[in-house]
Amino acid sequence: MTLNPALPAFADPTQLWLEVSQTTQANAWQQSQSFRAPNCRWNTYLNLSCLNTFLPWLREEYEPGAAPWPNLAALPSFWGVVNGTAITLGTKRLVLVPTETIDLSELRVPQEWVDIPSWVADYYIAAQVNPDDGWVRIWGYTTHQQLKTSGSYDSGDRTYCLDENNLIQDLSVLWVMRQLNLEEQTRREIAPLPILPLAQAENLVQRLGSADVVMPRLAVPFELWGALLEHGGWRQRLHQRRQGVAEQWSISQWLQSGVSEVAQQLGWGQVQFQPSPVGARGAEQTTMNPDVLSRQISIAGQQYELRVIPRDYSEGKIWRFELRSRIGDRIPRGFKLRLLTEDLQPFENNEDIAATTVGRLFVEVFLEPGEGLVWEVEPVPENYDREILRF
Amino acid sequence: MRPRQTITEFFSTFLQFDADRVGGWATDPKLRRSMLNCQDRLPQPETSKDFWVFYWYKLWQTQPYSLAEAHLSAYLQEVCFWAAQKTIASFSTAQYTLSDCFQMAIVRVNKVLKGFNPQTGFSLSNYASVVFRSVLKDILRQQQEVDICTNWSLLRKLSQKRLVESLQHAGLSAETVACYLLAWNCFKTIYVPLQATGTRQLPKPDSATWKAIVKLYNAERYRQLSPPGPECSLEMCEKWMIICAKAARAYLYPTFTSINTPKPGQASGELLDDLPELTHTSLLNQLIEQEEQQNKDLQQSHLYTLLAAALTKLAPEAQRILQMYYGQELTQQQIAEQLAVKQYTVSRRLTKSRESLLLALAGWSNEALHISLTSEVLNNISTVLEEWLKVYYNHPPAHRESPL
Repeated sequence: MTLNPALPAFADPTQLWLEVSQTTQANAWQQSQSFRAPNCRWNTYLNLSCLNTFLPWLREEYEPGAAPWPNLAALPSFWGVVNGTAITLGTKRLVLVPTETIDLSELRVPQEWVDIPSWVADYYIAAQVNPDDGWVRIWGYTTHQQLKTSGSYDSGDRTYCLDENNLIQDLSVLWVMRQLNLEEQTRREIAPLPILPLAQAENLVQRLGSADVVMPRLAVPFELWGALLEHGGWRQRLHQRRQGVAEQWSISQWLQSGVSEVAQQLGWGQVQFQPSPVGARGAEQTTMNPDVLSRQISIAGQQYELRVIPRDYSEGKIWRFELRSRIGDRIPRGFKLRLLTEDLQPFENNEDIAATTVGRLFVEVFLEPGEGLVWEVEPVPENYDREILRF
Repeated sequence: MRPRQTITEFFSTFLQFDADRVGGWATDPKLRRSMLNCQDRLPQPETSKDFWVFYWYKLWQTQPYSLAEAHLSAYLQEVCFWAAQKTIASFSTAQYTLSDCFQMAIVRVNKVLKGFNPQTGFSLSNYASVVFRSVLKDILRQQQEVDICTNWSLLRKLSQKRLVESLQHAGLSAETVACYLLAWNCFKTIYVPLQATGTRQLPKPDSATWKAIVKLYNAERYRQLSPPGPECSLEMCEKWMIICAKAARAYLYPTFTSINTPKPGQASGELLDDLPELTHTSLLNQLIEQEEQQNKDLQQSHLYTLLAAALTKLAPEAQRILQMYYGQELTQQQIAEQLAVKQYTVSRRLTKSRESLLLALAGWSNEALHISLTSEVLNNISTVLEEWLKVYYNHPPAHRESPL
């Protein structure tokens, strides 16, 4: 008989109790060890244990397509600075907020999840994690709307706090509401954050990237901090700095010694250029170096590929960005490929739009060594998180 | 326990404990006077408890600081007593007596009233019973956990709200609480477990860790404290943390010095003793006109039939688990043993079954009672479902005259 005595005898069925398997726990621990600072390690460990316990259950019971937001590979850059894990659930988003407290007097949600516009979720799930006995208990949930209206904001640690009595304790309520097609207002409108100028963002990354800054999220005004994090590229750079690792997004490095691990996880890879078969368009054969970088992207269930091709490798200054369809040669009308500076400014000839269905979209740019670029595709690809490619 | 007799008694007397035994009923004169006053206003005596529950509840909604809460607290004495007795029987606790448990639960009457929704057709006593039991279970569960934690572990496992309450309860000034709170936040940030498990047995931090905590505190105090207060030393910081841990432990074991004084009525001198006559009269008239109670009885029997029908639609194994849990009152662990599955499996299946029942009840409330369903309403139904299932499995339909 397989009896697990770890779940409290008094567990009651109004709340969801899930087992953290030993494998899940061991993997979470191992993965969290890559963090430099002990508190980031611990935060990552709790969040991973919670995510890898809750998500399989969620997929099995309700939504097979549920996935971490923006994507699995980006999560460490969140956990290094803030508690909480977002999950996409169809058109809704939920944020798991793990806590290890014994008493469940209140739910505390870091301000980032409430006031960064692109991070806002519909639901916030209160999860109690007990690493010693290996279980996660979902003890309630609330909405963005509720946090904003009934919650209190604590400026000390920048959290929105909601009293336990204001939470919906039974997660089943959420599923029943969905099954009955009962829509409730879940989000409240919030003000956008500023876009930081490049110099300011670099300054912040430099300052907050020091491992000596123990509480980076409290070190500068929230507007600046939120704006920095909202930009995926800067969030990654901050993470790199705090971790003391080298630039992970250097295109020249990728071409020389291979694509970095984090970029690989996001779908980047090197493609050995296939010389075109006889009779096909021959333009590609004129490139001097056959190495091309490629990233898989998925839009509305269709697979596409973004290619970065050095056009004039001898000087390394002209780069071609190309969006292709993985199957057939068809990019639907209205699709856009756009390049922006690091601080998201457009420049001349920075985008290509599919006026009709086309074979490919491309933009060519002249770049100085060390310059950074952000790519965007419209419609927004699944799991998209801004990346700064360094040339 | 001697049952209470008159309607006035039900709404104006409180259980007395003699050591750990029930001593009898004590009358709160103010509440008694209030009941008599109200009754005088009626054309004929009203002896239905439900009528008065509804009346005081309605009044509480509009006048939360009136005597209404105390009247309802008096009414819920038995429910609370049984909840306390039941819970204490299933826990082995040396710290708490029956009387402690009773007191800890009855002070949460406000939570009951806040969560209760009479529209859903459930009775206040049913709802209160579930809430009292869940409150007590939670306190006892916390107590077990706190007891096996070292001070250093406990500090990491407290919510901020609980810590602040504990420190306030210990009589510390707002300024001191703010300092301790910041120090505690620094402690939690710096001192984290270095192993995947064993979070209850954390040892005292080493001196390098203390130094880091103090350094962080002394830097953060300029940002987070106003005034920033004096610089904190290693010794001070350690002392503060021990005070915090002790305060939290003490807060979990409240001492009830005034057990024999009816708690909710205590401050009644300052409460609105005599409401404007108009409020009383109009509410009473409304109630009589609406014949709320008859409707409610009807609703409850419908609800009962519906629940029974929804239950039979569940898979046989799911029904069996529900029967074992709610009928035989086995723990999930015992059920797991009998069915040779993991306790988590039992837990998940119970949760799933409850969800089907909740779905059925929700649909019915919407169609038959014309209740517009919101998350709060469903949450309320979910709570009462617990009690309904217990009643259902303990009183099979054939032997029942009226639902509940």
